[in-house]
Amino acid sequence: MTARLVGRLDTPAAAEVTQEIQPLLDHASETIVLDCSELTYISSSGLRIFLTIRKAASAAGGHVVIEGLSNEIRQVFMMTGFLQLFEIR
Amino acid sequence: MAKKQGNKWGYAFQAIVTVIVALATLEATFLLQYYFSRKSIYAEATRRAEGQLEATNLMITDVLDQVETTVRNNVWPVRKTLAIPDSLWSLTRRIVDCNPSVSGTAIATMENYFPDRGRLFCPYAYRNGDRIDTLQLGSESYNYLEKEWFLKTLESEDGYWSEPYFDTGGGEMLMTTYSLTVSDMQGRPAAVLTADISLDWFTDLVGSVPEYPGAFSALVSRTGKLMVCPAPALVMKKTAQEVAADMADSTAVRDIVLAMLAGERGSRQVLYKGEKEYVFYAPINRANWSMAIVIPHKEIYGDVQRVGLLVILLQVLGLLVMSYILYTAMKNQMRFRDVSEKKNRMDSELRVARDIQMSMIPTSFLSVSGREELDISGMVVPAKEVGGDLYDFYDRDGKLYFCIGDVSGKGVPAALVMSVTRSLFRSVSAHEKSPQRIVSAMNESMADMNENDMFVTCFLGILDLSTGHLRYCNAGHNAPVRVGSGKAAFLDVIPNLPLGVMPGMKFQEQETDLAGGEGLFLYTDGLTEAENADHALFGDARLLENAVRLGGGKADDFVKAMAAAVKSHIRGCNPSDDLTMLYVRFTNPSPAAGADRHLVLHNDIDEIPRLQAFMQSIAEETGLGHALAMSLNLALEEAVSNVMLYAYPPETDGLVYVSAHIGEDRLDFRISDNGIPFDPTVAADPDVAADVKDRPIGGLGIFLVKHIMDQVSYCRENGKNILSMTKKR
Repeated sequence: MTARLVGRLDTPAAAEVTQEIQPLLDHASETIVLDCSELTYISSSGLRIFLTIRKAASAAGGHVVIEGLSNEIRQVFMMTGFLQLFEIR
Repeated sequence: MAKKQGNKWGYAFQAIVTVIVALATLEATFLLQYYFSRKSIYAEATRRAEGQLEATNLMITDVLDQVETTVRNNVWPVRKTLAIPDSLWSLTRRIVDCNPSVSGTAIATMENYFPDRGRLFCPYAYRNGDRIDTLQLGSESYNYLEKEWFLKTLESEDGYWSEPYFDTGGGEMLMTTYSLTVSDMQGRPAAVLTADISLDWFTDLVGSVPEYPGAFSALVSRTGKLMVCPAPALVMKKTAQEVAADMADSTAVRDIVLAMLAGERGSRQVLYKGEKEYVFYAPINRANWSMAIVIPHKEIYGDVQRVGLLVILLQVLGLLVMSYILYTAMKNQMRFRDVSEKKNRMDSELRVARDIQMSMIPTSFLSVSGREELDISGMVVPAKEVGGDLYDFYDRDGKLYFCIGDVSGKGVPAALVMSVTRSLFRSVSAHEKSPQRIVSAMNESMADMNENDMFVTCFLGILDLSTGHLRYCNAGHNAPVRVGSGKAAFLDVIPNLPLGVMPGMKFQEQETDLAGGEGLFLYTDGLTEAENADHALFGDARLLENAVRLGGGKADDFVKAMAAAVKSHIRGCNPSDDLTMLYVRFTNPSPAAGADRHLVLHNDIDEIPRLQAFMQSIAEETGLGHALAMSLNLALEEAVSNVMLYAYPPETDGLVYVSAHIGEDRLDFRISDNGIPFDPTVAADPDVAADVKDRPIGGLGIFLVKHIMDQVSYCRENGKNILSMTKKR
């Protein structure tokens, strides 16, 4: 299952997205692909969504793959240790 | 001049009216008092006269009673003595002797009762000095049998009182006689027993009225004969009827005489020789006489009239004194008025109110115009009716303190509240540096003394003349317009409540930065609500339109042009409200690069995009790289959203202040709020190396801030949380 993230995932956007990730969590036992090639910005609330999905997958024996990280966001992932938590492509 | 004269007459008229009213009141009181005194004095006179009548009546009746009793008591002795005619002499003598009030007594026997004594036998004893003499009254020349007293006595069972008469035989005395029939043992009338009494003593008894020296009394018999009267010549010579008929204005007197002869009791007022007299009369029943007391009007009312005259005299004197005082006071008043009129020529309340208003509004901008970083101008276009508009400004410590306000209501009250507001602005701002605190203090003062429910909308700002940083607080006033070159927009303001509405109100402060050449246009609703004949308001759209057109120009030109625009809009209509404007233009000559930038956000995460726009504009203007701009944006967002979510209790409004200083080699950011004290820097960093299941969901935000910024510090100052962050370039 693939989810595509577009634009800025800042605090207000993350609040909205949190309401919409249930379908992903329902498929936590499978491989979830998060397409970030069009994600231009992420805040800690955005990171929190990533972590929520990752924890669900981990619990259900699934797998989370992140694709197309920009350099700036990769920096953020690196700072927070998220690069080690996900399979980055 | 004519007006002045008019005022003078007005005052004189007022004074005269005052005197007249005072006089009328005084006079009314006096008359009332006079009326009641007269009434009671008349009642007193009546009481005295009636008392005297009654007393006289009693005394006369008493004497007459004695005589009657004497006669009755001797009926039996006479009857017994009839058998011995000669003994009748001694009997008469004894009767006179034993009864001092009796001056003579006779036993007139019936015709031929004692044939041997002749046809008419009437022994009579009378006082002659100390002696008692006797004589035989009956003779052919004095045939008592035909006399009225004799005949009436025989007819009457109770005896008979004769009409008064002058005793011609004896001592020329006024007499009256009581007679009673004496029957013999067989019950036939045998004789008439008489007793004379002198009426001389009546004259003394009746004649005087002790309380009223000018009064007199009169006694008349049943036929109207005058027995006692002030003219001795008339006594027994004339009847009261005759006297009354002789009098010029006699109708009233005749009525009185008739009433008296009818045995009536009463009082009348008569005019005698132009003098008013009061006549009180009452019958003396025993003898069928009537007595009258005549009291002259002036005898009764003499005293009260004298007192009344004295009172009137005193009143006139008092009035003269009062008039003099009034006159002096009036003269002083007029002099004072003349002086004050010359001084400020105010002739109406409107003028006073207008003067109050205008004197409070600075019209000279010289005090601050020396500063090259400031260009300021203001104007009040007065309406016909005085409003309570105001503006004021002054500079202190390199900062311009300014405000504009509009008092609810119109006229003198509004002008007074306006002057209070202006004074409060000056006094409070002299030792306060925060607009919010100034406004709050003003509100407390005004709400405390606000008894007329008047309130003031107000916008208050403090402009840092070195940086263009503007701190401001709005209290229910129209949002000012921020004007740049070719652009204009309403300043973001939190409305708050007007001043004076209620104590304890919380006012929120805001801040922003004016760039060089940018200005703030403050105005009252007289501008936006200026109405033309078609009831079209000037309105916000026209305001912004004109502000855009005029933006960048000098303050003075701007204000004048705006006034002209309003004037051309209303096209000759009379404005209903003052139009007040103040334009503050910051002309900082130093480059914008070194300036602080400020942003104020509500505690709502939907405001975050504004933060992004703020960062973006800084990045563009100062040439920050994309990556750096993004991480700064991230750090700021984390810090700001942290405040938004946690600094204020849920459901309460709060603000987050962001300021940025872009230096040559470093970037300084400051985030502050008025929320609950909270130091985010002390939170422990999350373990970024931990395994998935051990990673906590939160705590990343502040960690990112610390990671991105080179320096992060927290402090609490003046009730604010302040987070300072520095990033080296």
